[in-house]
Amino acid sequence: MDWPALWLSLKLGMLTVLILLPLGVLAGRWLAYSRMRGKVLIEAVVALPLVLPPTVFGYYLMVAFGGGSPIGQVWQATFGHQLVFTFEGLLLASVIFNIPFAIQPTQRSFEAIPPEVREAASCCGMTPWQSLLRVELPLAWPGVLTAMVLSFAHTLGEFGIVLMVGGSIPGETKTVAISIYDRVQAFDDAGAAQMSALLLVISLVAITLTFAASRRIGRRLG
Amino acid sequence: MHGLAFTFRQDAPIPLEVDGRCAPGELLALVGPSGSGKTTILRSIAGLYRPASGRVAINGEVWQDTASRTFVRTWQRRVGLVPQNYALFPHMTARANVAASLGDLPTSRRASRATELLSLVNLEGLEDRRPAELSGGQQQRVAVARALARDPKVLLLDEPFSAVDKGTRSRLYQELAGIRSRLLMPIVLVTHDLDEALMLADNMCLLQRGRILQHGKPLDLLHRPATVEAARLVGQRNIFPARVVGHDAARGLTRLDWRERPLDVAHQPQWAPGTDVAWLIPSSKIVLHAPKEPPREDSDNLVAGTVASHVVLGSTTITTIAFDGRETRTLQIDVPTLAAERNRLGVGQRVSLSLLASAIHLMPAARPRSPAP
Amino acid sequence: MLSRRRLVVLSGIVSFMALAPSAAHARTDEPVIAAASDLQFALTEVAEAFKSQTGRSVRLAFGSSGNFARQIRQNAPFQVFFSANEDFIKDLAKDGFMRDAGELYAIGRIVLIVPKGSPLQADGTLADLKAALADGRLKKFAIANPEHAPYGTRAEEALRTAGLWDAIKPKLVFGENVSQAAQFATSADTQGGIIAYSLALAPKVAALGSYELIPAEMHKPLRQGMGLTKTAGATAIAFYDFAKTPAARTIFRKFGFVLPGEAS
Repeated sequence: MDWPALWLSLKLGMLTVLILLPLGVLAGRWLAYSRMRGKVLIEAVVALPLVLPPTVFGYYLMVAFGGGSPIGQVWQATFGHQLVFTFEGLLLASVIFNIPFAIQPTQRSFEAIPPEVREAASCCGMTPWQSLLRVELPLAWPGVLTAMVLSFAHTLGEFGIVLMVGGSIPGETKTVAISIYDRVQAFDDAGAAQMSALLLVISLVAITLTFAASRRIGRRLG
Repeated sequence: MHGLAFTFRQDAPIPLEVDGRCAPGELLALVGPSGSGKTTILRSIAGLYRPASGRVAINGEVWQDTASRTFVRTWQRRVGLVPQNYALFPHMTARANVAASLGDLPTSRRASRATELLSLVNLEGLEDRRPAELSGGQQQRVAVARALARDPKVLLLDEPFSAVDKGTRSRLYQELAGIRSRLLMPIVLVTHDLDEALMLADNMCLLQRGRILQHGKPLDLLHRPATVEAARLVGQRNIFPARVVGHDAARGLTRLDWRERPLDVAHQPQWAPGTDVAWLIPSSKIVLHAPKEPPREDSDNLVAGTVASHVVLGSTTITTIAFDGRETRTLQIDVPTLAAERNRLGVGQRVSLSLLASAIHLMPAARPRSPAP
Repeated sequence: MLSRRRLVVLSGIVSFMALAPSAAHARTDEPVIAAASDLQFALTEVAEAFKSQTGRSVRLAFGSSGNFARQIRQNAPFQVFFSANEDFIKDLAKDGFMRDAGELYAIGRIVLIVPKGSPLQADGTLADLKAALADGRLKKFAIANPEHAPYGTRAEEALRTAGLWDAIKPKLVFGENVSQAAQFATSADTQGGIIAYSLALAPKVAALGSYELIPAEMHKPLRQGMGLTKTAGATAIAFYDFAKTPAARTIFRKFGFVLPGEAS
């Protein structure tokens, strides 16, 4: 069991979720309530990481913030080290490719809130922020939970993008998924099996949680 | 200026052309078929909908004024809205729902005030129930309590009784009438039920496709609608064409030529002789004479006819009578079934009717339209 | 539900997580060493010896030499590069990514390996392979990807020398690096492959099949070079020097490498 890799994966997953939590909630909510004409386009862009092959995605991420890119250079100038092959770069990539997982379930659960309930909140004197905290989130939390669990599980399992953007630097960017790949190549079947089983269990738990939560989305408002 | 005053103008997507007012303590009913814009107007007063142009002012405070680009957001307006399906917060108890409007009170006082309001609407003992555990009528009362908790400057009710059964409804009417005396704010009620408006409203606006056809006291609208369109909307069935012959101020009558039959109606001198008009008579002002009792000589507007059809609907029989003479349209009256049976009212039977002159109301002649459904 | 207190606690956890392990790494100097996959077992042992001797640790990353060369050009934070082909080191040095042109640390060999139960024979001359191609015994054959793995390039050369390249090309399975090739070659899904001698000698791999050295004349020599990158720190340099000591050379020899200055 590659403990540093496991810790790295868990850290990556948790930080991704923490960053995506406000982003997913606010963006999902905005998309749920918005009726602007270009909304379909925005939803398509949000869904892009779902359909794009990870290597294509990884390639564009490298182009976008590799050493030669403007973003990469600004980062280098500000922080003294580069974005690619570092944990920070991995975190940025992870946040970006988990956007559909963070936004779509939250959007669905905000959409499920009847507009009259939100209007009633306004009539009660609640500002949009108060309405979010006291009415919408208590009703939409299953979707938010689903989004966070899916993002976490997906981050744990992501391989292609992590490899391209992170390299496989032990302790820095060598996640569990890569470690499994590495153990197989090192003919360490025991190690690979152990870590694979762990990831399998985590994925199962994640899926079960999201199914249980999504059933509550309907019941909450029924 | 005290009370509510509103004006809305819009072409699309929902056409609106309305002006209205409601004094404190008064109840204004917005009546019309579905799609007439009633709910939109209510939501516009609340600030949930923003028409292209308009003005809303309450007790002198301007909530919306397109001219000065003023628009106060809903949560800054003190409106009490009771939506059609109550829109209670499903995750909160009844008490918490009501307390949601009590943001201005210190937290410690909210629970007790909420309980107070719930007992005002007769829901003591049910404060800890969630909406799913309450009946329709109970939910509606929670919604009212929640609206009142806001200490609103205007109370807006959107078809609040439509989803409730008849028995509960009549009880709720009484309760609303009961608490009205304590409410010192203008109340705007949206309904498609004319009888409800007649029962509850001080003033009424008749709406069709976003336009106000007529406004005034409910009984006036019912018995003296301004146009045939309005008449049909308020459910008047007996509308016939005629021509004004002349006026007799001394006797307080106006004479009409109704398909070559003279008709005496209430004195309405504003109609110039020779004008084509439409006249209506409310069902309640038609006297159907029992066949065995000949009518008095001086009965108003005695006409004879034949029963064309009768439909028994429980305790009322809807009887359609074809007039003798040239009028092709039939008259429809509601006869108590008991009386219909007693008099053995049947198709083809000859009848005589008196049309009370004072109740006959004149309107501009109807434009030719497709036959009534 | 989202009280201020909970938000403060959450922020605390986030900050701690974000800072902690990176801080840990910054304090200890544990350089990342890029190593060609053929060194999977050999260099691991060398690193262990290094640790017991000096008490210092290094982090090893294995992969194909070509891949590492590309990553180093993108400023990947490797401090030492053990390539399977010294040309990679020299090119990197020429383009300013290495401290110097590095040096030769070993010369590698390739073997033909066949998994247990394979219809192929472990014939290093590749004669049996030729026969197997003809009579249909061979369906899949694994080598490392010649595009960026030196061991794959040498495998291709050997196959060309034996005149088998065109015939065997449609049946080839490419490993990302020679380790993955070894993985494929020892699985039941191929009939065999050409992999690094250093890998075949590892007990874990040897147990999976039988192998035979391919004559060195059949391909260009595997001159494996190592070099220090521009970011090499003290421990990296120490490790680099350690790789030249008798202790390290013994390990290399154990894994079938021919050492500079010695005959095979």
